[in-house]
Amino acid sequence: MNNRLKELRAAHGWSQGALADELGVSRQSVNAIETGRYDPSLPLAFRIARLFGVAIEDVFDDGEGERAAAE
Amino acid sequence: MTDVTYKEANRRYRRMFLPVMAVYVVACFAGPLALKAMGDPPDWVMAGIAVFTALPIAAVFWLKGRWLLETDEYTRARQVEAMLVGGGVTVCFAIIWGFLELFELVPNLWTFLIGPIYFASYGLAYLVGKLRGGRVVS
Repeated sequence: MNNRLKELRAAHGWSQGALADELGVSRQSVNAIETGRYDPSLPLAFRIARLFGVAIEDVFDDGEGERAAAE
Repeated sequence: MTDVTYKEANRRYRRMFLPVMAVYVVACFAGPLALKAMGDPPDWVMAGIAVFTALPIAAVFWLKGRWLLETDEYTRARQVEAMLVGGGVTVCFAIIWGFLELFELVPNLWTFLIGPIYFASYGLAYLVGKLRGGRVVS
């Protein structure tokens, strides 16, 4: 699953540690999500989206949206 | 799984871990000394002291379980993977050794070694996971 977490975090001027503190998770979690090594659960994905004030689809993209639109 | 943050979960684990281990260390020395002082205690007393001495280890597993429920989902996934590998290695080792012992190819294994074997293989599995960028088995 692709995501824009790094981009959104940079836009807010947050370090991985600062974002992890905001979310109440480990810095390693943020790093793993950003590098695509871990896909968060739905509750955590919603928390991330709400923290940045965007829709969940604006953070995470499974590629299915574009495919469905093309069809 | 809970509203406790990752850092608070770590704090809660550490706050209890050291006192529990201190009780274990004291009990390891106090138990045999108490039995020696009693001279020839009945079996139930010896059994009680043996179980009481090991109780802090059960408490460590309870603490670890609480910490797993409270920590973040990524840490939980990595830890559970490492625990699974550690448990698998330990059980497989014990069963293989058991058969080797049954066929009289190896000497009897001191049961106390099972604990260090589990914790060492669990730790090694977690380290391998870290080196592989967070993946232990997948």
